[in-house]
Amino acid sequence: MMLARVADSLYWIGRYVERAEHNCRLSDVMLNATLDRSEAATQVARIALAAVGDADLAKAQNPYDAARALTLDRQDSASIYSSIAHARENARQVRDQITTETWERLNLIYLRMSDPDAARAFGDGSQQFLHDTIADLHLFKGAGDATMSHGEGWSFLLLGVYLERAQLIGSLLEVVFGDGRRRRPVGDHFALTSVLRMGCALEPYLRVYTADMQPRYILNFLMLDADFPRSIRFCTQEIENHLAAITRHAGLSGAAGPERLAGRLRARLQYIDMEELVAQGPTAFLKTVLDECAAIHDSLYDAFVAYPLESRLPA
Amino acid sequence: MSVRRDEPPAETTGVARPYDEMRLAAGGVHPHYAALDARLATLTPQELAERQRTQERFFLLQGITFTVYGAESTTERIIPSDILPRIIPGAEWSRVEAGLIQRLRALNMFLADIYSEQQILMDGVVPRELVLNAPSYRREMQNLYVPYKAYANVCGSDLIRQPDGEFAVLEDNLRVPSGVSYMLANREASRRVFPGTFRSAGVRAIDRYPDLLLATLKSMAADWRPNPQVVVLTPGVYNSAYYEHAYLARLMGAPLVEGRDLVIHDNMVYMRTTTGLRRVDVIYRRVDDDFIDPLTFRRDSSLGVAGLFNAYRAGNVMICNAPGTGVADDKAVYAYVPEIIRYYLNEDAILPNIETYLCREPAQLSHVLANLDKFVVKAVGASGGYGMLVGPHSTKAQQEEFAAALRADPANYIAQPTIQLSTAPCLIDGEVEARHVDLRPFILSGEKIVVTPGALTRVALRKGSLVVNSSQGGGSKDTWVLSESKGEPR
Repeated sequence: MMLARVADSLYWIGRYVERAEHNCRLSDVMLNATLDRSEAATQVARIALAAVGDADLAKAQNPYDAARALTLDRQDSASIYSSIAHARENARQVRDQITTETWERLNLIYLRMSDPDAARAFGDGSQQFLHDTIADLHLFKGAGDATMSHGEGWSFLLLGVYLERAQLIGSLLEVVFGDGRRRRPVGDHFALTSVLRMGCALEPYLRVYTADMQPRYILNFLMLDADFPRSIRFCTQEIENHLAAITRHAGLSGAAGPERLAGRLRARLQYIDMEELVAQGPTAFLKTVLDECAAIHDSLYDAFVAYPLESRLPA
Repeated sequence: MSVRRDEPPAETTGVARPYDEMRLAAGGVHPHYAALDARLATLTPQELAERQRTQERFFLLQGITFTVYGAESTTERIIPSDILPRIIPGAEWSRVEAGLIQRLRALNMFLADIYSEQQILMDGVVPRELVLNAPSYRREMQNLYVPYKAYANVCGSDLIRQPDGEFAVLEDNLRVPSGVSYMLANREASRRVFPGTFRSAGVRAIDRYPDLLLATLKSMAADWRPNPQVVVLTPGVYNSAYYEHAYLARLMGAPLVEGRDLVIHDNMVYMRTTTGLRRVDVIYRRVDDDFIDPLTFRRDSSLGVAGLFNAYRAGNVMICNAPGTGVADDKAVYAYVPEIIRYYLNEDAILPNIETYLCREPAQLSHVLANLDKFVVKAVGASGGYGMLVGPHSTKAQQEEFAAALRADPANYIAQPTIQLSTAPCLIDGEVEARHVDLRPFILSGEKIVVTPGALTRVALRKGSLVVNSSQGGGSKDTWVLSESKGEPR
């Protein structure tokens, strides 16, 4: 049992920290690309910008500025700064629900991001700055894992993490492999490794597929791998598990809508035929996945957070 | 060793020298400060400054901050916390404790009386109109049963130490007193800063406060609710004391709710949880009377819950502190507290009041007007150091402004002689200097009355300043109450 508002905040903490981490990685890859050949850098920057939903692809001409804006722009609600600030604001609102150890990690990241010297620190060593932020976000999750009760609140937090992750990876794959792209297909070795880096998947990929960079292997890995924690399939398994835990806590097992949606989505990813998917192009399938993630979010709210009061009044 | 040993600031002429918490007038230090003094002598200013930084870092990381809304940017600041503890010997504390218990017992009886029979008003001990016209008097509370007559479940009284070394009560605080989280956080910090001195000093523990608070709140619940659900009601994250609300909720294990989390149905209070509606029995509210229920009090309030007061009247929920307790800490009623204690308990007040002039009395008003430069004048309804004239530190223009206000609405003001608050050593820019301090202990009353052996010591960080409010440049420091056997003169 926990307050609906608290569950809502914990869920959004999860979403925002995941978004911040993902965007850190996109920024990092963009900056990394500036060190190499500029044409590839532009393509990588374009992919990253499109993946965060930035329509202004002209920014891709200057990856450094784009990365800095994505990191520190306080006006942009999609920036890493904003995600961290939102996560911390939510954490402040449920400060009584998260352990001091967990809070301290998140607060530390926020204090560094909001420091007046943050822009200088970013200028002095952009990749170090992003690297530290990602490492601290991992510490935040680790501190939560090690010190918070793995009960209902924890499940709401992780539900936020995995739903957000599934959607972020889904959007990234849509940009890279979808039909919507107007430019030439991504086939360049450098661009492909960059895509894997954006999904923090390069090393795990190499262990499975070796250094053979094939678009269809990458798609397969980021979408359907059963064990890689950033594959969409893995995310949907976690979503299903945490939803089951939440409904169990709520005594609503079998009755709640989101559980059914999550089970269906997980089954889709578990049993899809890869040959068929490649034959018809992944666009339609990715769209279904993203739509169903959104539907799970809505139905989560209907069941646990913004339910109609009339249905819950004592007789 | 370059720690400066300043004389306490003596800018105000014609007023007795303030009491020094550490130093003796004849030289040397009070015995209970000896250990700390010896420790300080071994630390360089750099080491002290380093410890101060560590402490500030601790507060910042913990998020013990208040938010400053500026024109361009919103920043969070920590409330300055001084690393040098203020020390109170055990025997002296016993007297303070007895005085606080006596005072709150009498004030609770006073509240029970004025919200029922009003015997004290009929006997003419306190003027009737003074009570009934006070803005904090809530006629809605008339004839309402409050268990154990515990109206003020949490009370934070402001004490000061007079030049002769005696503690006196400057102000009672029976509405929604705050600051207890700073008491606890300062302690957490000072244990790290002076671990050795702390261990050997025999400091009494204060960490049971959340636990005692929870027990107090639970004791207020109806007998037929065996396992009462306690919640903390906060105005929300934008309130300056939000950190404290979350902190207490966390340490009590009680949900921290906002008005929007609560629903009233059939005069019962429920909170919206993920599993549906859950009954609430006791609300430790950190929202002012005015805002708790738009149906009963201020209609424009969005912080409270519509219908809450009716649920309270119906006996289905306890609101702690009870609405209407503010009338007992009204600055004009304050003047009558010694009489109130005598009336109900037939005892003399253990802790004296500060001499207070009620401007509503024409003779006293003219005396105050003639001596505005010597008095502290306070508006009856204001708090937090606002609406206040500190005579000796004021300009002629400010005095004239107040004189006009006094003549226009004398009943709204009281005056007290300017009291030299005692001074305690503080670390200012790496040097140990004396600054004025007060003392806010916290008293809990439910089934019984308990005083936590500790307090928030507030510090006026500006040299010579007597205003300790955090909104006006004040800070705080840890308060060590020593166990009975420790720190006594040998």
